[in-house]
Amino acid sequence: MSDQQLQNLIKMINQISMNNLHHGEEHQAAEVVATHIKKFWARSMKQQIINYAESDGLELSPVSRLAVKRLAETQEA
Amino acid sequence: MLHFYDPRKAEPSLNPDMDYGTPPSASETLVSLFIDGTGISVPEGTSVLRAAALAGINIPKLCASDNLEAFGSCRLCAVEIEGRRGYPASCTTPVTEGMAVTTQNGKLAKLRRNIMELYISDHPLDCLTCPANGNCELQDVAGAVGLREVRYGFEGENHLDAEVDDSNPYFSFDPGKCIVCSRCVRACGEVQGTFALTIDGRGFGSRVSAGQNDPFMDSECVSCGACVQACPTSTLMEKSVIEAGQPEHSVVTTCAYCGVGCSFKAEMKGDQLVRMVPYKGGEANHGHSCVKGRFAFGYATHKDRIREPMIRASINAPWEAVSWEEAIAFAAKKLKDTQARYGRESIGGITSSRCTNEETYLVQKLIRAAFGNNNTDTCARVCHSPTGFGLKTTLGESAGTQTFDSVMKADTILVIGANPTDAHPVFASQMRRRLRQGAKLIVIDPRRIDLLKTPHGSEGIHLPLRPGTNVAMVNSLAHVIVTEGLEDKAFIESRCEPKQYSEWREFIAGQRNSPEAMEVVTGVPAGLVRQAARAYGEAGNGAIYYGLGVTEHSQGSTMVMGIANLAMATGNIGREGVGVNPLRGQNNVQGSCDMGSFPHELPGYQHVGDPAVRARFQEVWGVVIDEEPGLRIPNMFDAAIAGSFKAMYLQGEDIAQSDPNTQHVEAALSALDCLIVQDIFLNETTKYAHVLLPGSTFLEKNGTFTNAERRINRVRKVMAPVAGLEDWEVTMALSNALGYPMDYKHPSEIMDEIARLTPTFTGVSYEKLDELGSIQWPCNEEHPDGTPTMHTLDFPISKGRFAVTGYVASEEKTNRRFPLLLTTGRILSQYNVGAQTRRTENSRWHHEDVLEIHPSDAELRGIREGDWLGVSSRVGQTVLRARISDRMLPGVVYTTFHHPGSGANVITTDSSDWATNCPEYKVTAVQVEKVSQPSVWQRHFEQFSKRQHKLLDPAARQAEATDVSALK
Repeated sequence: MSDQQLQNLIKMINQISMNNLHHGEEHQAAEVVATHIKKFWARSMKQQIINYAESDGLELSPVSRLAVKRLAETQEA
Repeated sequence: MLHFYDPRKAEPSLNPDMDYGTPPSASETLVSLFIDGTGISVPEGTSVLRAAALAGINIPKLCASDNLEAFGSCRLCAVEIEGRRGYPASCTTPVTEGMAVTTQNGKLAKLRRNIMELYISDHPLDCLTCPANGNCELQDVAGAVGLREVRYGFEGENHLDAEVDDSNPYFSFDPGKCIVCSRCVRACGEVQGTFALTIDGRGFGSRVSAGQNDPFMDSECVSCGACVQACPTSTLMEKSVIEAGQPEHSVVTTCAYCGVGCSFKAEMKGDQLVRMVPYKGGEANHGHSCVKGRFAFGYATHKDRIREPMIRASINAPWEAVSWEEAIAFAAKKLKDTQARYGRESIGGITSSRCTNEETYLVQKLIRAAFGNNNTDTCARVCHSPTGFGLKTTLGESAGTQTFDSVMKADTILVIGANPTDAHPVFASQMRRRLRQGAKLIVIDPRRIDLLKTPHGSEGIHLPLRPGTNVAMVNSLAHVIVTEGLEDKAFIESRCEPKQYSEWREFIAGQRNSPEAMEVVTGVPAGLVRQAARAYGEAGNGAIYYGLGVTEHSQGSTMVMGIANLAMATGNIGREGVGVNPLRGQNNVQGSCDMGSFPHELPGYQHVGDPAVRARFQEVWGVVIDEEPGLRIPNMFDAAIAGSFKAMYLQGEDIAQSDPNTQHVEAALSALDCLIVQDIFLNETTKYAHVLLPGSTFLEKNGTFTNAERRINRVRKVMAPVAGLEDWEVTMALSNALGYPMDYKHPSEIMDEIARLTPTFTGVSYEKLDELGSIQWPCNEEHPDGTPTMHTLDFPISKGRFAVTGYVASEEKTNRRFPLLLTTGRILSQYNVGAQTRRTENSRWHHEDVLEIHPSDAELRGIREGDWLGVSSRVGQTVLRARISDRMLPGVVYTTFHHPGSGANVITTDSSDWATNCPEYKVTAVQVEKVSQPSVWQRHFEQFSKRQHKLLDPAARQAEATDVSALK
């Protein structure tokens, strides 16, 4: 994985979060974002963002962070 | 007695190859009359000429044609009507109940002969050497009336020596053969809507004139060909016919340019295409065409065509021409080796929106079944992917809701981010016809597009918003609808989900969405926005048409949903004259999306994550399908640069020219171990390829295209593929070499498989297509003959879903370094990356991409027309010539991307739509300044291009090979 690739993934997820903030409170918005990523992102991209959230995650917006957490849970399930 | 009713559906026996003299009448009241003793019933308002034609009686005519209103100038169609005096022209005489018409008797015969005698007295008698010989209405009528002599002689004053105008590259105008029937003038106005032609002078001095006596090329003529088709003599004649002679057979097929999907008759001499004539039986175009489909077909036989498969070890090595077997084996081995070394997910492919449905289906099947992953995507990623997402979320189906003909019932036409006169010209002509009938026009676009200058149209409302503020605009419009009581409550209550609706309503009614509050964002006066909202909301039928100016934004998907909200809130869904209509850029964008090209969806927009869907495909395909979506195009590029994505199979798309941030794309392509490109020319992408598989044009294969109105049209082969194989055969060979067997004998078998697996296609077959001419999907048990208008009773998701569409500003913002916004678009004569049209005479209209800049921005920078301008963005720089134009607002500049050397996409960024990654081509912050030489990228491009062409040249190949051995 390159820095550029990770930067793009962070930018993408934050953008998705930003466009779904209207879904009530954070957890609800995060659920929508997690579903979106589950439906549209490739396996490798999901894994990369999960790894990033677990190792650092500083650049993720609050909703994005919650969404990745939710995503990681469903991946394990 | 014969009965005829309703123009299209109700005259099923109509022969599209016959001219019925005047247009059909839409009346439901039938009128009975007798023509030469034969009883016939026709709709009220039908002309006697048409009624006779329907009864099988052909009255001679010259100035009449059934695509033009009756004119009554030639008088050849004179008839006798019982109880009336004289000899009325049957074209201008409507039928009445009980009318008794005589079309042939001694007096009429004499009258017609006299008229023809006058015509021929000022017409050359060079029939044997005339290009129209064998296909001349004047000649036919002279024969029909039995003209035997011209008593006036030929010595008198005449027009025989009038000067020929050869300025147009595709047709010539020889006024010496003109009979001044005005068919060309009327076709230019009534059919095309340009009004470039007129009759200049009076009486004997009358002559057809383009513009104000200009040569055709210098006039406003857009070279659509309507006048050439209308001409009953050889006055306006295709140069290809003048050169080759009359064609001897013809095949009906579908144009491979834009998403209108016009039907054409490819008129042939053996395997030589002599001319393309728009087919009257085509439901999308009804016999009209544009300069691209009608004339720009020469690329198919251009010397630049790739004629043999080629391979090479690296992109700096010369190409080696090999057999198909060798090329396919080489490609398959590379793909297998890559997967063995880097894993199953390290390879992928891109399907083409220019290839057929069957070919697209096969490529995604190859990727999912033979590659074993879902790394498939298509060029719709960079154009209409937000349409798929947005319409599926709100209306439940990823497609437009109407037929093109539906516009003829619209009262207000709302055009957003589309430029139909340039990008969808044949549909634009139909729109303009409706505008001339009085429909209102609203345009939301940073540029003042030509549709706003529709001759004889009513005045349009133009909302010239700042690029990137679409969502703010659509929210303001909806705010006005909601707060001024313009909603269609009955529709909302019966057709839409109440929960989503009330959430949306609360959001949209908020003061922050009012036109007054948004004025500072959009830059459009609130009063004008309110006026537009009322014009749409209060219209009986409001129809929305949109293009890439909607989708190619960071909020492209949000905007599509905003458009659907607007249509649902006003009840403008589910009948003719209304709807939400994406105008598709390429011929088969709709089809490539339908056929499962996206990484998350199998054909028919069925998600790969759905086990039931996968099970059905797995049963027919006999493999396990990955349950996870694959990489999208931009993700593939990122993964290639990161080193995890190593090989790609690419059919008919030039990503190196068409995708944004060219330098990023070039870096990704250079990082691949194996790039397999199947294309008809050495395009920009092939310069990074290791395997070159010759593609076939639409003239060289069988299949289907699906246009913007979901219409599946047949593509029929008229000549052999230059390298022997049709594109679907090449994909099949690659699949077999990879060990996943495919064995189709004909594309119809592929369509049968598609029909088996796609719920919206179950009724589609080649047999049915031949029977009906075309089919609009869904076509299944519920809709056996297809579905012209969608969502008439309910939505595929049962109820329509309003979506909250909050405006989020693009991250691509202007600042002191980059103070201008660049937006990109298209031009009439060129098509997309220009690979086809640049290899035709169309380049005479547009030989280079220019930068349009507002006079005030130009003045500030000391820029004059024609100056070289350096255009820099955050990602790159290119140089273009200046055109001063006030079509844009100050602060906005505009260019096209038809020529690779222009490097328009060197400056566009990889900013993209939040939901689909569709690039934000329409908003790039730039600076513009005068320069004296090409940009660094352009100089590199020039060198690299030269070298790649050299590597393709057989002689150079030989020389390079010698060089290489000398080095060893």
